[in-house]
Amino acid sequence: MPVYAEDWRGVLADPALCKIYADGVEKIDERIGSFLSFNAADSESAIGGKGSLDGIPVAVKDNIAVKGRPLTCGSKILENLIAPYTATAVERLQAAGASVVGKTNLDEFGMGSSTEHSALGKTVNPWDFDRVPGGSSGGSAAAVAAGLVPLALGSDTGGSVRQPASFCGIYGLKPTYGTVSRYGLTAYASSLEVIGAMSADIDLLQKAFTVMSAGKDERDQSSVDSDPPGSGEKRIKVLDIPEGVLDSAVAEAYADAAKALSEAGYTVESFALPSYDLVVPAYYTIATAEASANLARFNGIRYGYAPDYAENPVELMKLARHEGFGDEVKLRILLGTYVLRSGFQDQYYGRAQKVRTLIRKQLADLFQSADLLLMPVFPTQAFLYGDDGMDDYRQRVADVFTCLANLAGLPALSVPTGLSKGLPTGIQLMAPAFAEERLFAAARSLSKIYMPQLAPCALNPRSFS
Amino acid sequence: MARAQDEWSLTAELARLKLDETEALRLADEAEKMRELFQTMSRADVEGLEPTTHALVRENRIREDDVSGFDHVGDLLDASPETEDEFFLIPNVL
Repeated sequence: MPVYAEDWRGVLADPALCKIYADGVEKIDERIGSFLSFNAADSESAIGGKGSLDGIPVAVKDNIAVKGRPLTCGSKILENLIAPYTATAVERLQAAGASVVGKTNLDEFGMGSSTEHSALGKTVNPWDFDRVPGGSSGGSAAAVAAGLVPLALGSDTGGSVRQPASFCGIYGLKPTYGTVSRYGLTAYASSLEVIGAMSADIDLLQKAFTVMSAGKDERDQSSVDSDPPGSGEKRIKVLDIPEGVLDSAVAEAYADAAKALSEAGYTVESFALPSYDLVVPAYYTIATAEASANLARFNGIRYGYAPDYAENPVELMKLARHEGFGDEVKLRILLGTYVLRSGFQDQYYGRAQKVRTLIRKQLADLFQSADLLLMPVFPTQAFLYGDDGMDDYRQRVADVFTCLANLAGLPALSVPTGLSKGLPTGIQLMAPAFAEERLFAAARSLSKIYMPQLAPCALNPRSFS
Repeated sequence: MARAQDEWSLTAELARLKLDETEALRLADEAEKMRELFQTMSRADVEGLEPTTHALVRENRIREDDVSGFDHVGDLLDASPETEDEFFLIPNVL
């Protein structure tokens, strides 16, 4: 089923259509579990704007604030928190006419690659209910692939928009760091993360990005004005991948996409990243260090879960964190605290920051003679729940292709490339800072060959009336 | 391994994380694997490189040193588990 944003216009404004829509979501999401909270009836744009997104229902990952709606971050520690304000990115979408209809499931605080680490619900892949939707923005990706919304927001710290988008067969954009305000995004790793968007409609995705990145936000000190470098000369480098890293379906899709881009008029050459082996260690050292600092605020005092009783203030904090956080969050706090410890800081955190400089320099050199970098998204397609071959450690190591863009602050887009063995495949394109336009142009070239499809179970807005 | 276990216990203490016995063993094992991965960065030649704190910082953002209001005080207090007047109420810890 091809998807068109136009099909959605008018649904929310008409109470009868809105009821059919909400009933349809309830029925499908009983099986998918993409939403942690959904309320289409109460979704009129807070600002009442009209613009390029007029009437578009949007799902928002539940670590991004929307006033009056829950903000759980997929964690028991924030299970009962209602957001007191709205994130700038969401405000801008609303001002352009979009309406938030629900908040989506995620790995707790965005830490994971499968949404298995949510404390509040299970989300499955709409293409195969025995498989994960990817993560950490798994609920957003599943909601779009299941036709429950045409557009969803996620956050991307190391691939959390692009990887689930790819697992679910849709587009996932990680913008240039700073182009979309992080005001209202619950902080996990501040120097790496951005708010990104997902859709099966490349035009709608581009409109959403244009709206969200329209000028820096005074409320986010790291936000910047976009400064595009031009459309480039259609020169693509293809990342060399060590033997045996990619599974056969992903390897085939990767080779086919390079060929398709070549046929579409791009010059295609291979590229070996000298510091390939350092990407994951540097990324996880920095991400966990920043996580340990950012999550220190969850201490059972100001908001969120608190135990009924504690012997002393330190015990209160420990109990709140013990009972409120899940395993993956505890592990990352533990690692981050370790790499920042006096005596270890130079060896781990300090070194990772220098490796980050090295990686940035190598990518800057690359983009002297290339306009885009083609990469896989993840070494496998969506994997099965409980897959022994894809334990938590392997999932972290598999972030190599996505976390590269976060270390360098560069924009990257995952692009669906059809199906293999009944499951979506995809590739990833990365561009120099602020060159999102090049990503959209290349994705449009590929969309002529690989028309994005929603899952067979998907809701179809054309059937509402 | 026992020494590694002690290191992770001390780190948990610094992170204000209380871990029960099986949890501590499981997390120490997983953390040790990640530490070994981090250790591979020792092979990198980073001589003379400045650390990156933010990938794309173009300017040091400053603002006028004016007093400005914060509109969400009441909303934030409402979001806390318990309040008394204008204060957060926390569990009795004495």
